[in-house]
Amino acid sequence: MTQLVLKNVSKTYLVGDDRIDAVNDISLGIEKGEFLSIVGHSGSGKTTLLSIIGGIAKPSSGTVLFEGDDIYSLDGDRLSKYRCEKIGFIFQFASLFQNLTSVENVMLPVVFKARRDKTAGDEKKAVELLGMVGLGDRVNAYPSQLSGGQQRRVAIARAFMNDPGLILADEPTGDLDEETEAEMMRLFAGMNEERGITFVMVTHNTELARQCKRQMRMGQGFQVP
Amino acid sequence: MKAFNIHTFAIKNLKRRKFRTGVLAFSIALIVSVLVFGFSFIGSVGLGIKRASDRLGSDLIVVPVGARGYAEEVLLESKVKSFYMDKGLVERVKKVEGVDEVTYQTYLATLQGLCCDIPEATVVAFNQDSDFIVMPWLTKAIGRRLQKNEAIVGHESSLNIGLGLMDAVLFGARFTLLGALEKSGTGLDNAIFISDENVEEILRKGKSPLKPDQVSIIFVRVKSGYDPYNVGRAIEGEIVEADVVARTDIGKDTINALKDINMIFSITVFMASVLSALLAWAIFSATVNERLREAGIMRALGARESHIMRLFLTEVLIIGCIGSICGAVMGTALSVLLAKSFTLFKNLPVDLTVWDRLILGAAGFAAGTGICITGALAPIQRIKKMEPLFVIKGDAA
Ligand SMILES: Nc1ncnc2c1ncn2[C@@H]1O[C@H](COP(=O)(O)OP(=O)(O)OP(=O)(O)O)[C@@H](O)[C@H]1O
Ligand SMILES: [Mg+2]
Repeated sequence: MTQLVLKNVSKTYLVGDDRIDAVNDISLGIEKGEFLSIVGHSGSGKTTLLSIIGGIAKPSSGTVLFEGDDIYSLDGDRLSKYRCEKIGFIFQFASLFQNLTSVENVMLPVVFKARRDKTAGDEKKAVELLGMVGLGDRVNAYPSQLSGGQQRRVAIARAFMNDPGLILADEPTGDLDEETEAEMMRLFAGMNEERGITFVMVTHNTELARQCKRQMRMGQGFQVP
Repeated sequence: MKAFNIHTFAIKNLKRRKFRTGVLAFSIALIVSVLVFGFSFIGSVGLGIKRASDRLGSDLIVVPVGARGYAEEVLLESKVKSFYMDKGLVERVKKVEGVDEVTYQTYLATLQGLCCDIPEATVVAFNQDSDFIVMPWLTKAIGRRLQKNEAIVGHESSLNIGLGLMDAVLFGARFTLLGALEKSGTGLDNAIFISDENVEEILRKGKSPLKPDQVSIIFVRVKSGYDPYNVGRAIEGEIVEADVVARTDIGKDTINALKDINMIFSITVFMASVLSALLAWAIFSATVNERLREAGIMRALGARESHIMRLFLTEVLIIGCIGSICGAVMGTALSVLLAKSFTLFKNLPVDLTVWDRLILGAAGFAAGTGICITGALAPIQRIKKMEPLFVIKGDAA
């Protein structure tokens, strides 16, 4: 079964009397294990599209099917469960909690997952993930004690915490140097190859986009060839 | 690492925003302490008077015309006063319809050095045959009647005089002190009790202004089925030389005066409560943009509405509880410490029981926590309902 299917998805923002068609009639099928890159000018609707897929922005029209289920017809708690267990979101914006350490930030998705106290295993896993993004020595640092790129990497580690089937990465390497960027891409590729995790990644780096198995270009909310 | 869950998350949020947490907890503590203090004050006077008049066990008291205030001062505030009427009134009161039992007491003021060798106090001469006021306490204390030249002291005066003293000269006559009565919560706790068989000797010694056949106060029990007020009115109609006070009216002036204080106080407390709720609201609103983003991100990471609700409510409850507990303790401490510096309290033999204080403290606690939750609920509701993407981006720039 195709893991993710978008059928004629549109999203229109109303600002006063103006209508902004951020996403326009996009239809798309993504198989499990794919690695899709999305490129496009600023304001072309990439973040909006990713958010629709991730269950945090309801489309104005169209349907989103994940493993056959229409996610926007789910009730609130089921939709939360979808976000929690199926999706790993790496946001374009700063998204760490200032009052939590790196390792606590990474563990946060587990807190929302089940009605149980978190086990020592969860902490071990979080520390491992931080090691994988090169922050094994900063597990107890607060976000304010980290550089922008380091914060970004904590957010990357967090996305993998609940073993999601689909990672939605919105410019995940935007503020990283080339070397770290390459490291992160290797991490993604490894996760993609070894664990079969599907990736949808927004990037401005056309070189990076070209390396991906599949590419998509957006312009003014439309999918463009 | 300790367990990491919604509650530890909430605690970390509070710890890392110490100033905000502190201001809110402190304001809640203040309002709760005002509440507890205020109601302890009002409550102890009101309750004290009610308990004292109930403990007297008399439906009506009959006093000389114009002596009503004096009588209340003796019975409630343990002031030393003497006032007298003719003993013949006792028989006349007995004959009034509806009157069941009657007993009388004679109050004698001691003056140290002049007549007596103890500090100023009221000596109560009571009639042991008809008495229903003192006998219950007396039976508990010594299990028998007082003999001639024996005295027993009230609970408070035993503290003043000192229990070591075995003997005292009262109005020229020597008395053996048998011990102390248990606390009754009335003004009589400060008195010294003797049998009225001694009055004759005291008169003979001439060290008291008392004249023969005088009494100060007559206590009346009304037959069941009769309204004390009606019986009281009948007595007053029958005997022009006497004033009658019903049990429920004892201390009425004080209670009425207190009602006004109570009112002013309640309004002030109400306004202060609203103010605190607004403060809680303002503080939570002020951080709500920041919290909105956090909530949005949590939602995007898979948090349910209930998770957000729990996180914020936990924070509010912790602040509310800390503030309220501190406030309840502060208010109680304040009322205990200041109690004796109010003239109203100085003579009133009133004290809230531990139980009363616990109830007041608990009420203050509930009020404080309630105020906190009320104030914080609005932003929590708002945060809960918004679309995650919208709030995440809202403040990103
Ligand atoms: N909340 C909103 N209200 C109104 N318009 C919005 C809102 N969010 C986004 N838009 C508009 O929708 C369009 C698409 O926005 P989106 O954030 O998806 O772009 P993007 O491709 O991610 O851009 P960038 O590369 O700069 O991140 C833009 O024109 C933007 O102005
Ligand atoms: Mg974007």
